[in-house]
Amino acid sequence: MNAIDAPLLEVRGIVKRYGGLVAIDHVDLQLWPGTITGVIGPNGAGKSTLIGLIGGAVPPSEGTIRLDGRDVSRLPASERARAGIGRTYQIPRPFLDMTVEENLEVAQYSIEPFIRASLAREQRAVLLARTGLADVARLPARALPLLRRKRLEIARALALKPRIILLDEVGAGLVDNEITELIALIRSIADPRSAIVIVEHVLRVVRECCERSMVLNFGKKLIEGPTAEIFANDQVAAVYLGTGGVREPAGRGPPTEAAAAQNVVHVMGPAAERRVMSPLIAPTAAEGAGAPLLELEGICAGYGQARVLRGVDLTIGEGQVIAILGANGAGKTTLARVISGAIVPTSGVLRIAGEDVLGQPPHSIARLGIAHCMEGRRIFSTLSVQENLLVAARNADASAAGERLGAVYDLFPVLAERRDHGGTSMSGGQQQMLAIGRALMARPRLIIFDEISLGLAPVIMDKLYEALAVLKQAGMTLIIIEQDVDRALALADHAYVLEHGVFGLSGPPSKIAADPRLRHIYIGTAD
Amino acid sequence: MPEIGIVLSTVVSGVLLGGMLALTALGLSIVLGVMRLVNLAHGDFLVVGAYAGFFFLKFTGVDPLVGLPVIALLLAALAVPLYHFLLAPLSTRGPEAQMMTMFAVSIILENVFVLAFSADTRTIERDYATLPLTFGSMTVPLIYVIGFSIAVALILMVHWLISRSGFGRDLRASSADAQAAEMLGVDVKRVQMLSFALGAACAGVGGTLIGAAFQFGPSSGGAYLLNSLAIVVLGGLGNVLGTLAGGLALGFLQSIGGLVLGDGYRDLVGMALFLLVLAFRPDGFLARARS
Amino acid sequence: MKTHSGLAEVGVLCGAFVLLWFAPVIADDYALQIAFRVLIYLSLAESWNLLAGSAGLVSLGTSCFVGLGAYVAFGLLNSLDMPLPLVLVCCALAGGALAALVSPALFRLRGLYFTVGTLALAELLRLTMVNVSAFGGASGIFLRQDPPPLPELFHYALVVALIASLSITACARTRVSVILRAVRDDEDAAAQMGVRPYRVKLGAFVLASALCAIAGGVQATKLGAIEPYGMFGLQWSIDVLAMVIIGGVGLRLGPLVGALLVVALGEALADYPEAHIAIAGVILIVLIRFAPRGVVGVVASLSSMMRRRAPA
Repeated sequence: MNAIDAPLLEVRGIVKRYGGLVAIDHVDLQLWPGTITGVIGPNGAGKSTLIGLIGGAVPPSEGTIRLDGRDVSRLPASERARAGIGRTYQIPRPFLDMTVEENLEVAQYSIEPFIRASLAREQRAVLLARTGLADVARLPARALPLLRRKRLEIARALALKPRIILLDEVGAGLVDNEITELIALIRSIADPRSAIVIVEHVLRVVRECCERSMVLNFGKKLIEGPTAEIFANDQVAAVYLGTGGVREPAGRGPPTEAAAAQNVVHVMGPAAERRVMSPLIAPTAAEGAGAPLLELEGICAGYGQARVLRGVDLTIGEGQVIAILGANGAGKTTLARVISGAIVPTSGVLRIAGEDVLGQPPHSIARLGIAHCMEGRRIFSTLSVQENLLVAARNADASAAGERLGAVYDLFPVLAERRDHGGTSMSGGQQQMLAIGRALMARPRLIIFDEISLGLAPVIMDKLYEALAVLKQAGMTLIIIEQDVDRALALADHAYVLEHGVFGLSGPPSKIAADPRLRHIYIGTAD
Repeated sequence: MPEIGIVLSTVVSGVLLGGMLALTALGLSIVLGVMRLVNLAHGDFLVVGAYAGFFFLKFTGVDPLVGLPVIALLLAALAVPLYHFLLAPLSTRGPEAQMMTMFAVSIILENVFVLAFSADTRTIERDYATLPLTFGSMTVPLIYVIGFSIAVALILMVHWLISRSGFGRDLRASSADAQAAEMLGVDVKRVQMLSFALGAACAGVGGTLIGAAFQFGPSSGGAYLLNSLAIVVLGGLGNVLGTLAGGLALGFLQSIGGLVLGDGYRDLVGMALFLLVLAFRPDGFLARARS
Repeated sequence: MKTHSGLAEVGVLCGAFVLLWFAPVIADDYALQIAFRVLIYLSLAESWNLLAGSAGLVSLGTSCFVGLGAYVAFGLLNSLDMPLPLVLVCCALAGGALAALVSPALFRLRGLYFTVGTLALAELLRLTMVNVSAFGGASGIFLRQDPPPLPELFHYALVVALIASLSITACARTRVSVILRAVRDDEDAAAQMGVRPYRVKLGAFVLASALCAIAGGVQATKLGAIEPYGMFGLQWSIDVLAMVIIGGVGLRLGPLVGALLVVALGEALADYPEAHIAIAGVILIVLIRFAPRGVVGVVASLSSMMRRRAPA
């Protein structure tokens, strides 16, 4: 048999069960040398599980995996790495207290313990140059910003001299110019002897790197084929691609079953919305009615040595919806954490409704009416859905809490259905709804939404932003921190762009959208 | 094979004792769950409770069982400054710092006991403590039954507190993700302090009950620390009812071990069991995850 | 392949060894006793640091292996009349064997649970020794022959300390170091990089346990009589922890400084037997709070502060 005709990796009938839940249901996959294959699908479809199964972190319940004809199904992760399967993690996990070079040494010395030191050094130098890390070789991994950490993940996987490279959502959290760099990097590591698998939500990466793609849904392979065809497929669009932030005109026709099952937001008229939402909206305070709700002046903040924010000014009045955009490492989450009190700025003024609150602990600021829907959701896994919601109802007696609970359940009926289930037993999109509901339960005056769309399928993002629109209609003050520029600008009254620790630009969304300087960085052909 | 009456008596006594041990273990479990802290002074809190009961009786003539609420408050009052001055400042560092601090507290306490109360062993003497209770061929000391009832009642109260009350919700949220809880408005430091105080109170009350049933001395704490650890692991971390079940199981197995192998082997059986459970089910025998 | 600094370290250690070998010529008995204690403590602290600082395993089970070494040593000396060096090798083997035996179970435990597991193991062994009369039960056993003279014991302790220190150097200054640190920092990511975490942890554990066992054997030989509370007592584990904290966790000089200070403290407080434990406790609390990197850490910060202040 001609070696080129045999698949490099053959996955047959792979199944993964967690108790009663079937995460991967009889999936077949073949990888040929020299190919780059994309795997896309909604959240909870099993994409990361599939990576875990191939990489060895997750043992299969059934099925086989063959690498170059050799059965590796029962091998642990370390043996698969040695056999030539390298993977990156969705959230980069470098060895933080080791330097970039040392991170690579770990892989090198694992596969070739007695390699000559000088040869190892040469090989490392080549790898670092390829992945654009040569200038930071001696820095501790902890000091690297996100894109660099992703490069390090890839470099580390390459140090294993792999035959199969698994890239798990490498595009997440990057803005457009960083994605361009990433795509260039991926293309440069493509090799006729190895195969690359890319699991992604950032569709641009899939479109520009992968000749073939596969769609997973509910653990099953929905369809597989050339990427362009997959993207044009109606079924795939319904299940996953969503509307991309553009509202469909009303005569859409009967909703498909999948769409109906995800119809989780009630759409009501403005007055009705206000009525339903009133338990959740804080009344406007009589005193300080003249003062803006939130004021930041000259805020400087950072972590240890790193200065992240270098003089941020921001004023927000009641009922406004603000978008805060910016590249990774610009400081968006740092800003959110300063406002909620998790980080104390080194200088500057922070006022809530005219009251100086600098240095107060997060729980005090929360009680002043600032709610923070945190990046990564942070649902309490040991509490039920309802308990997660109730924890947030701080200053409410039983009946007020009950009212607020009712309003949240009206907004997100799926939460009512699952009220006694564990907080993290739901899909990513549903957990995000829970996180939003939790923020509302505090009856806040202002809610900060920190990257709520991260890691979610576009069709779910549509639903979440419908919920945000309801909140806006009802008069809530919102700060939206987002990578998804289009959706944020569609909702906001005013937008700020954080660049090098200050607001480089601010203005109404139309102005931001049209500014040629920013168009290059932030607005592009991202989906 | 000893006669059935003795076997029954021994086993039932073991189970009753297990209930009392479960109460003390509960204190350790709460602190471990909320603060991720192995409180190495836990056994010594127990001994504080025992001494407190002893001196309560001595100076007021009132039965220490009546004085249990006072003893609970005493332990809580001890625990709060300990938390505030010694543990809270270390909360940003790794778990070893707090653990070692509590170890230092433990050796200080033991030394203080020796200095203040001498190294003698003593026991809380009540006439009824040694009264046997007889059901058919089975005889158990009355104090075991009383201690068991009080212990189970308290455990159920704590269970209700943790699973149904607002404070319990805050406690569970803080132990799941302290940072997120803080952002939602939970005063995590206060929750931790109250949890530590609650844990100390449970240990102290359990100590009084045990002090009425057995002898104790300045260095008795160590053995009870390990017993409590075993029960916490058996029952699953953060699982109140599991701790009760774990305590009953441990008491039962210890008594069987003593019966079959000889009295000196009771503790050995406990440790061996502990290691077995750790080896095969590190989350505890009865642990149940919510998802 | 050792780096330059690694070779330098080896040189320093061997040089110190040679110098100290001749110490009995000039030192009196009291000084040798102190030195002996420091060397034994140093060996235990170095082995603890190897486990925790490198592989991330915080152990409270030192007493387990110290006691094992002690009983094995006496068993062999009493029944087989072996020469002491051979006996100590057997102690090392016994310690390593026990470590290998319990590691499948123990390594399933992560973090806090591992620590608790080591504690339970030590206690289990102690209880076994108390109950099994073949090993002397609660009253322990005596060494039938006379213990060797103090200078000879001092030499043995010196050798043990050298082996312990060289082991640390080998682990910290060679390519083994990145592997160990990878396992310590993130076991799962390390596995994905081809590291076999189980083997790495096992290796560290076996080495550390063997060292503790040898130290236990030497200590027992000096004592002449051992019993379970003394040799398997928690005191060993706690003393080691105190040493490492006082000296500085994970720092190369930590164990040495810690051992010296703990022994010095013991001597200084010998006049206050009643309160000496409580005082030790207070000192520990203060150190943990205000000098988290131990004495070595404080000195290091002070010296870098002084360097910054000094005129160029």
